[in-house]
Amino acid sequence: MKKDDCFYFGKVIKTHGIKGEISIRIDSDNPSDYSDIKFILLEINNKLIPFFIDSLKINQNKAYVAIQDMKTIEGAMELVGYEIYLPLDQLPKLIGNKFYYHEVPGFKVIDKTYGLLGTIDRVLEYPNQAVFQVFYKDKEVLIPIQDEVILKLNRKTKTFEIDAPEGLIDLYLNS
Amino acid sequence: MSRSLKKGPYIHFKLEKKIMDNVESGKKSVIKTWSRASMIAPEFVGQTIAVHNGNKFIPVYVTENMVGHKLGEFSPTRIFRGHAGKKDKGKK
Repeated sequence: MKKDDCFYFGKVIKTHGIKGEISIRIDSDNPSDYSDIKFILLEINNKLIPFFIDSLKINQNKAYVAIQDMKTIEGAMELVGYEIYLPLDQLPKLIGNKFYYHEVPGFKVIDKTYGLLGTIDRVLEYPNQAVFQVFYKDKEVLIPIQDEVILKLNRKTKTFEIDAPEGLIDLYLNS
Repeated sequence: MSRSLKKGPYIHFKLEKKIMDNVESGKKSVIKTWSRASMIAPEFVGQTIAVHNGNKFIPVYVTENMVGHKLGEFSPTRIFRGHAGKKDKGKK
């Protein structure tokens, strides 16, 4: 499986107990969404190796995982420090105006006043908020991702309808 | 040492005037500022402030949990690209 078809899930931080369990840190907004995963992929020597799960206990952003056929602490210690990935199809589906940042680059942005601005180049994450980076008339325009700004997301036509705050687009065009 | 309470929070006078104009007229137009040290007051909530980071303006939509922080905290001057494979992030 290629890394592009997977997403970063977390990291093996240490062993847990003496029966071969590992403790992992989950890098997700809602770790409990992943309580029924059957396997994890560890990146070992730039290759994703699957490890099947016997049991998984999630506690906030940590989880204790028992790996199949791994019964000793020595075996578990060999996995410490590796990054964990999961296939993209394991991501919970989002509907309505909700979306993942990785899926929107390439989507068109249509402003209520200016019409078609262009396509989303990427999503820039700033503290407390994220912004769409769009190039309109060869100028970078940053659009805050807020409920008040994003009116509608159409996944079929890959378009965002937005109502940019007054003066925002002019700010970038005149700079 | 923290700022003396007697002085009150620091807000650049031009920024404060623009915010108050917006609040009084009920407008939500973007306010451009270079004053990264200005503290976010409760009146700022709901306004969009374009805060300069030394290179460009970053639009900051002010929410309630930003009150008491300084504008510069939300307009970083350095770029952090994040984890390459991190995709479990989004507007949820």
